[in-house]
Amino acid sequence: MTSKPVTLLSVTKSEWIKFRSVRSTIMGVVVTFVLTLGLGALITVAIRSHWNVADPGTKLTFDAVSTSLGGTLFAQFAVGVIGTLFITSEYSSGSIRTTLAAVPNRTQLALSKIIVLAVSMLVVCEVVCIATFLMGQAIYSGVVPTVSLGSGVVLRSVLLAGVYLTLLAILGFSLGLILRQSAACISVFTSLLLIVPIIIFLLPQSWQDSYSKYEPSALGRAMMSTSPPRLMFGAWTAALLLVVYVVAALAVGMTLLARRDA
Amino acid sequence: MLKIDHLTKHYSDTVAVDDLSFEVKPGVVTGFLGPNGSGKSTTMRIILGLDHPTKGRATINGKDYADLKAPLREVGALLDAKAVHPGRTARNHLRALAASNQIRASRVDEVLEFAGIQSVANKKVGGFSLGMSQRLGIAAALLGDPQVLLFDEPVNGLDPEGIRWIREFFRSLANEGRTVFVSSHLMSEMAVSADQIIVIGRGKFITQGSVDDLTATANGTVFVRASDIPRLRSTLESLHGVVNDINDKGLSVAGLTSDAIGRAAFDAGIAVLELTPQRASLETVFMDLTADSVEYGGSTLEPTHDE
Repeated sequence: MTSKPVTLLSVTKSEWIKFRSVRSTIMGVVVTFVLTLGLGALITVAIRSHWNVADPGTKLTFDAVSTSLGGTLFAQFAVGVIGTLFITSEYSSGSIRTTLAAVPNRTQLALSKIIVLAVSMLVVCEVVCIATFLMGQAIYSGVVPTVSLGSGVVLRSVLLAGVYLTLLAILGFSLGLILRQSAACISVFTSLLLIVPIIIFLLPQSWQDSYSKYEPSALGRAMMSTSPPRLMFGAWTAALLLVVYVVAALAVGMTLLARRDA
Repeated sequence: MLKIDHLTKHYSDTVAVDDLSFEVKPGVVTGFLGPNGSGKSTTMRIILGLDHPTKGRATINGKDYADLKAPLREVGALLDAKAVHPGRTARNHLRALAASNQIRASRVDEVLEFAGIQSVANKKVGGFSLGMSQRLGIAAALLGDPQVLLFDEPVNGLDPEGIRWIREFFRSLANEGRTVFVSSHLMSEMAVSADQIIVIGRGKFITQGSVDDLTATANGTVFVRASDIPRLRSTLESLHGVVNDINDKGLSVAGLTSDAIGRAAFDAGIAVLELTPQRASLETVFMDLTADSVEYGGSTLEPTHDE
């Protein structure tokens, strides 16, 4: 019998079947669309209706891209859950044993899952961010100054918004590798994005100014802004820093996966 | 062939498997017998590379599990039938497994049909009964047409018809020359389904052999009826037999063979009316062998004497 071996490609195909054959993934994608588009519509409509009474300072620093993509700050939890469940559901159901019996090389398994998650989430998140941006500009048009994707800096901000959401999905996956329990992962993920900023907010002003720019959600805002907000990193620096966070979490998660008993 | 070589596994403060060594040969059904908590499942997980051994090795045809190029084509395993994502359909579960090991997709329908679950192939596994899940697990184990098959407590949850089906299935796999390794804590089940039995207790190897070997080595007793029971009793006791009366009808003798009892009675001029060796059941043998190694044994409650 010609025995074809297990390869990165064959495991990636297998993980792709697994990823799209459960309802949690489909629901997560639907929620991502609803939150990003829905909240984007609410925010842009509200800005349009108050534009004429807005003060000149607000108008001067107005960013037509990041305001239209405000819904991503809620959709980030949906993508985090998609990433987390991609691995924690294997532990809660026990199917991790079946998976690892079929694919004993644990690094190969983790890489395949990352490829499936990164590619599929990047497609979904870019589509949803571009659609939300276009919808926002359509709502603004005639009243609020609009921008177009023809501008390099606008295109960069919209695309990096999708990259931000994709990276958070992978961060959720990394937490899943480390903690192996859905509830624990989702708590930690939410804490990182919501509680850490509150804690930093309670620190002295000078510390806030120095450290709040390192929060993942602050990096996200920097990535999708056309000009860097006050006390924040530039878009590319922020993107690079978030990649470093995600790679560090993945390194810990993959090391634990390789070492621990399944 | 499956080889376990001085395998030891410690979990923080407990020893699950303790210097275990044995071989499982092809062509026969080998039972892996031990009380609950004796290390059977841990051994199987180590064979599949899921748990890392503290010491020793488990090899399949001389190779570590991690070194198998396409593991599902060499080893099929059913550890826990319920360990499948409940939201996935049976077919998608098998399709994903087949894809990972580059097994042709049409094989999925073949194993679904063999296991008799083709009618529920597009249903979510979460709604399956334990029996249906066991059949799905068997379908998964057969995907790669492997030469080595492991089953951990496969008859749990099966109805009598399912149990008969699975026994015949093990038999046919062994007859095809495959290595079939089946764990159970039920000796009665192993007595009918296995050819060879490996007994462990508290993670240690206790004994290995065929069902006949194991029952033959046990200390059986002999039942004897005779014309003069009191005289036969003293005769046998003088030969160091352990003699018990059974309802004044006869004697139960331990420590002497039926041949020795018959000759002793003849020499003493006593007519023997019945002489029957009482074969120890595999169950009795198993209880004797593992009596010291039951992790969670119950004891007999003394009746309370209220004044």
